[in-house]
Amino acid sequence: MRWVLPDHIQDALPAEASRLEALRRKLLDAFRAHGYQLVIPPMLEYLDSLTTGAGQDLKLRTFKLVDQLSGKTMGVRADMTPQVSRIDAHLLNRRGVTRLCYCGSVLHTLPSTLTATREPLQIGVELYGHAGLEADIEVIRLLAESMCVAGVPAARIDLGHMGIFRALAAGAGLIPERQEELFGLLQAKDVPDLKLLVKDVASPWREALLALPSLYGGIETLDHAAERLPDLPDIRAALSDLRRLAAALGELPVSFDFADLRGYHYHSGLMFAAYGDGSPAALALGGRYDLIGAAYGRGRPATGFSLDLRELALRVDSQASAGAVLAPADDDPALATAVARLRAQGQAVVTALPGHEGTWQEAGCDRQLVRRDGGWTVVALEGEI
Amino acid sequence: MRDSAVVIRLTRSPAGYNHRSEYIKVAFVSRITLALSKGRIFEETLPLLAAAGIVPTDDPESSRKLIIETNRPEVRLVIVRATDTPTYVQYGAADLGIAGKDVLLEHGGDGLYQPLDLNIARCRLCVAVRKGFDYQAVARPGGRIRVATKYINSAKAHFAEKGMHVDLIKLYGSMELAPLVGLADAIVDLVSTGGTLRANNLEEVEDIMPISSRLVVNQAALKLKRDLIQPVLDAFSGAIKP
Repeated sequence: MRWVLPDHIQDALPAEASRLEALRRKLLDAFRAHGYQLVIPPMLEYLDSLTTGAGQDLKLRTFKLVDQLSGKTMGVRADMTPQVSRIDAHLLNRRGVTRLCYCGSVLHTLPSTLTATREPLQIGVELYGHAGLEADIEVIRLLAESMCVAGVPAARIDLGHMGIFRALAAGAGLIPERQEELFGLLQAKDVPDLKLLVKDVASPWREALLALPSLYGGIETLDHAAERLPDLPDIRAALSDLRRLAAALGELPVSFDFADLRGYHYHSGLMFAAYGDGSPAALALGGRYDLIGAAYGRGRPATGFSLDLRELALRVDSQASAGAVLAPADDDPALATAVARLRAQGQAVVTALPGHEGTWQEAGCDRQLVRRDGGWTVVALEGEI
Repeated sequence: MRDSAVVIRLTRSPAGYNHRSEYIKVAFVSRITLALSKGRIFEETLPLLAAAGIVPTDDPESSRKLIIETNRPEVRLVIVRATDTPTYVQYGAADLGIAGKDVLLEHGGDGLYQPLDLNIARCRLCVAVRKGFDYQAVARPGGRIRVATKYINSAKAHFAEKGMHVDLIKLYGSMELAPLVGLADAIVDLVSTGGTLRANNLEEVEDIMPISSRLVVNQAALKLKRDLIQPVLDAFSGAIKP
């Protein structure tokens, strides 16, 4: 059992690494083209700043260690979103809209699902300083474009709204602990236990809470929601936001789910998730979290999404990237020119070293440069050499 | 798009395999898979399946097949161990599953929708002790007992709620033996008629919770295959016996 990696921790070997890197570049390029500026927060920082305002869940998922310099407890980031919020709220201090993107490894003490890695490669965008629906539309469009750029088959966007849950939970007069329990039951669409929890809640809150798990599906869900939920300003506003959003995203395949709740401690409004054919869970998650910046001293409207590149890489068609070209060990200046030209075109060229053992295929070569008619030509690499 | 699918055609050429994807019209682009266990759950699910117009083509008791087709080409069943059902559904290996509440509590139904209590395979999770054992004397805050069980999480949560310390012994079967041979003071187990307890001179001293089977659904499947799953959900929901 030597050199075995810990559970839920893995290497990315050349084939997978090149897929991950290609995806990372494509997404960061797409983000940059929309004006999102890259930030690189540290791998670890003081625990307080990593988990301020976050729920118990994130605290448990954060690896901790003691800083030998200060004696304070540090955490290895389990999520980059709070770090980026800290940067926006505390370091950049811009007055206007700030668009940031990021990509990096995060560590989880516990894997989030049975197959999940404990070291996701998180990539995402955040838009700060705009509370309007236009910001949400921009971010959701960027998410859809990311799915498209990545090549996710049959990607679709699922929308929900935290405002509805918060309005109903407040109306029902549930104490915070009960609200968190309610939140969990709604997430699981656990109607049997939900019935028990709300049996003493007054009308119309009880009926409305019981209706939430079945309010999911296409655009008709908005009409069903308007019929079955109480006519409150917050709920009316949420439904009208969703309706405007659906109209603005007209060409994208969207669906709705009023019980698909996440981020009890930080989400404040619109929430969205991206699904692709064949994946057992959402590929990307996002939404509004206008409250989180306040923990860092400056509350700012915020919306964004993030995803795990490793998970994404599993779900997209892996176009095998072109292999490398083998150049023989030869002093001919014409060969050096040919090699330089190929490399300038973006091709990988592997130069043979004297006494090389093993086959060239294992070095990733599928073509070779051969001398032909006095010049150098690329031909397919035939057989095992 | 519902009636078309992308197929990938592989063709062999001297240079190797080529593949080409194209759209074709097919009857069904997707199918749904329901995971359930043999025995009581399977038997009691049959009427619910019938209500949804689904009839299995094989009987898992007599057939050794693990994948069972039904009269509906887009629906198939997979026969799994009861404790594995949530795992299959969570991984997306099955879209739907039928699992006891006990299994979901132990597995932690994380990442699963559990929209329906099917009210089948009913029983109770209880604490039982050897007749004559004074359970009430230890069942108080600060009390300490040794408990044998298969349901570690549920037992831990139950005794923690009561403020009792417990030393849990994980067993995989024949729980009733443990108190008789002095391995444990009490057991936490499922009881339906109480016959096994009586036959082994044990008595039930505390009810933890009623148990029945739930329909569990993979979260992404409910969104992506709603057209196929929703009718099954509705039919099951209408056929549940009180």
